[in-house]
Amino acid sequence: MRRHFFYSTLLVVSLSLIASCGGNRRRGGSESVLKIGTTKDGMKSASILGDSYLAQFAQISNPPLMTMTKEGKIEGIIIKSYEISEDNTIWTFYLDNDLYWSDGTQVSAKDVVFSIQLFAEEVPYARWMREILKKVYEKENNAVVFELYKPYARLDFDFLTYNLLPQHIWGKIEDPLRHTYSGVMIGCGPFYISKIDLNAGFILFQKNPFWKSTQPEIERIELHVYNNKDVLALALEKGEVDTYYRYNSSYPYPNLERLEATGNFNFIEEPHLSLKFLGFNLRKTPMSDLAFREAISYAINYEELIKLDLLGYGEIPSRGFLPRVMPNFTETTPLRFEPDKAKYMITRAGYRDSNGNGIREDLSGNDLELSILIHNEFIRLAELVRDYLRTLDIDVSLKVVDTNTWINLKDAYKYDLVISRTSPWGMLMHANWATGYFDSRRTGEGVLHTVEDPAFMKLCDNILTTKDERELEKYAQKVQDYYAKNLPAIALHWKRIVIPYQKKFSGWSPNLLYGIYNIENFIKLRIIRGESFEGSENSGLAKT
Amino acid sequence: MAISKKKILRYLLALFIIFSLNFIIPRIMPGDPLTNLLGEEFSLSEAALQELRSELGLDSPLMLQYIKYWKNIFLFDLGYSYHFNQKVIPLITGRMKWTLVLLLPSIIFGAILGTILGALSGWKKNALPNKTITWTFLTIYSSPPYFLGIILLYIFSFKWGLFPFKGFYETGTLSDIIQHLFLPVLIMSAFSASRNYMIMRGSVLIEKEKLYVVYARAKGLYKEAILFRHIFKNAILPVLTLVALDFGFLFSGALFVEIVFSMNGMGTLIYEALLSRDYPVLQGCFLIITLMVIGANLFSDVLNGIIDPRVRERQ
Repeated sequence: MRRHFFYSTLLVVSLSLIASCGGNRRRGGSESVLKIGTTKDGMKSASILGDSYLAQFAQISNPPLMTMTKEGKIEGIIIKSYEISEDNTIWTFYLDNDLYWSDGTQVSAKDVVFSIQLFAEEVPYARWMREILKKVYEKENNAVVFELYKPYARLDFDFLTYNLLPQHIWGKIEDPLRHTYSGVMIGCGPFYISKIDLNAGFILFQKNPFWKSTQPEIERIELHVYNNKDVLALALEKGEVDTYYRYNSSYPYPNLERLEATGNFNFIEEPHLSLKFLGFNLRKTPMSDLAFREAISYAINYEELIKLDLLGYGEIPSRGFLPRVMPNFTETTPLRFEPDKAKYMITRAGYRDSNGNGIREDLSGNDLELSILIHNEFIRLAELVRDYLRTLDIDVSLKVVDTNTWINLKDAYKYDLVISRTSPWGMLMHANWATGYFDSRRTGEGVLHTVEDPAFMKLCDNILTTKDERELEKYAQKVQDYYAKNLPAIALHWKRIVIPYQKKFSGWSPNLLYGIYNIENFIKLRIIRGESFEGSENSGLAKT
Repeated sequence: MAISKKKILRYLLALFIIFSLNFIIPRIMPGDPLTNLLGEEFSLSEAALQELRSELGLDSPLMLQYIKYWKNIFLFDLGYSYHFNQKVIPLITGRMKWTLVLLLPSIIFGAILGTILGALSGWKKNALPNKTITWTFLTIYSSPPYFLGIILLYIFSFKWGLFPFKGFYETGTLSDIIQHLFLPVLIMSAFSASRNYMIMRGSVLIEKEKLYVVYARAKGLYKEAILFRHIFKNAILPVLTLVALDFGFLFSGALFVEIVFSMNGMGTLIYEALLSRDYPVLQGCFLIITLMVIGANLFSDVLNGIIDPRVRERQ
């Protein structure tokens, strides 16, 4: 008995000793620090040029030329204004003269020229610039001129994602693509990166002392990187971080109630640009048959998908694919779940079960055996869709592969159906309005490139060469009408994302592209001091 | 103690085959290393893609790539990773340093705890404490490491706030590192110990029925002396081989612990390299693991020879 007591005491003492080892670890909770918890996702190195995930986080220290407002408008972030020649081949950006790097050097047009040339020459995913940009040079009045080989009206959109780098620092770096940072990285945003340590799992940002515009109340931003979203959820609940951020993601819906019950959090709940969809391989039959796609659109129980996949945080999509929050959204017919109509339509289209084996035959008389190509992120959703299609007497199976294989098979058109998702930037890329996912001349990770219809491609080309707002509005409507009429893919739901944050913060202003991770948000963010947070901004969760 | 020439030849052949498989397997996997480099939103012409492929050396014939691969191995040059933006050797050594900090204590604690408790349990298999320990280790052995990791993290970090949630360190001081590593090492040690425990227990159960044990008893030796002076030496041989194999298993098995505790070690490196089809990193990691496992096996062969005179005689 005495021996057991001794061992138990020894265990407790050892545990306490080890636990107290890092007692000085917990910083004294300065009130002007914002701690954001995120997941590692694809972040692999501390190279701002070589790692696009890190580059995304670095946008508050090394902002791109343009940003997107809460309403989805594109405007300058480090530029005062910009103009385009009538033939859309010359773009001139006028820089803000009040912009300084965090070492006190003024930001100049040279920095912009240097950065864009560096991206074009060094970065694999920016090589498209070589094919479009003829010349980049600086001009008087702190302006930068981009001369293009051909008319192109989307350069402002493209410049939403390329970070600005100081020439006086990066010009001396021998191999910029391979250059990694661990200490201070000079930036010209309201914050600059003061430390990157992926082994410790954090990136620290300090306030830029030379930032002349509206001063943020927050002195420091700490980005805490977790390998696992379940652990991140626990850390958030425990108060280790103040909020949750993942590009294109909501806080996990199943954990929301638990977090709300703590009483420490408010929630931002907003409709989102991205969506999940069922895509068709339009190069294969029967997917190329519009009547078949129509029938499938009626076989899907959208309400159930919202309930099970989004736990109610979403709405039933329309045939026009694009979510309501998309700039220039046009109302099209909502998608409806009508199983009887689906059966009637597929039979009328000629897909019948003539041999009575319980599976319909295609127009050549073979059993309709289709597979849905997915990666494991979409298994639950795919199982539901598979079951809906089986009610139409189609033999559907799932082909689950890893992301890289998925992309490979998808690019080789070796699939029947796919379930995938769009991203906010993906919805804007190419000719906007999700055209980048369907135009057959494109390629990329999530891009289906299945629409070869000349009318659609002409529509994309028209969008790419005009800046006329009224024309663009007209084209936006045409694109959505095209989706509604031809159903190249079926949106499965339109989601709302929910971001929790500690009640001591207020004034959040997420934008459509990066959610809460944007400069305007961090400038506007306020800390409620010395008073009750209870009534601070709204908070409750509302689902449909 | 010398290892026979035949054995050395066998090891060299194993190395050649494993190194060659190491080259072949990533390349026969479906997928394209270029895919993850370019990301979701790009539009490049075929010429630009070809140029990139050529820069990465992906367009040269397989045989040429294979010859270059062997040449680079002899030059200790494992290439460059375009996904991690780093040369492979410093990348792996950087990660391995931390994985070893996590693994070595786990292997050592696991070996000591597993063998001693296993020996005691095998010796007195019906004693209540031994039965309890057996059930405990069986439970650990059959639990997924991820699950156990989350449970411990929930109790010690979330509920009691004793340990941090993530990373190898925060401030980088020794005490800070110990505090960060405590839970992961505890889990890895428990898994390693449970495997060693089972083997050692089984081994002692067999050994204790042998005649030399009866003879030792007849000589009037104390029970503990019989166990630790005679049986232990014979029973530990399979555990030694297992500990050697542990080097390979734990490197990759650490993945789950690294995911739960947000650690950037070898496990996550292999996982990320696999997902992005990063050939140089995959080759480098498997090469290092191969060398470590073969080295550890060689070491265990030597150790077996020292402990067991029968092995020594055969050699």
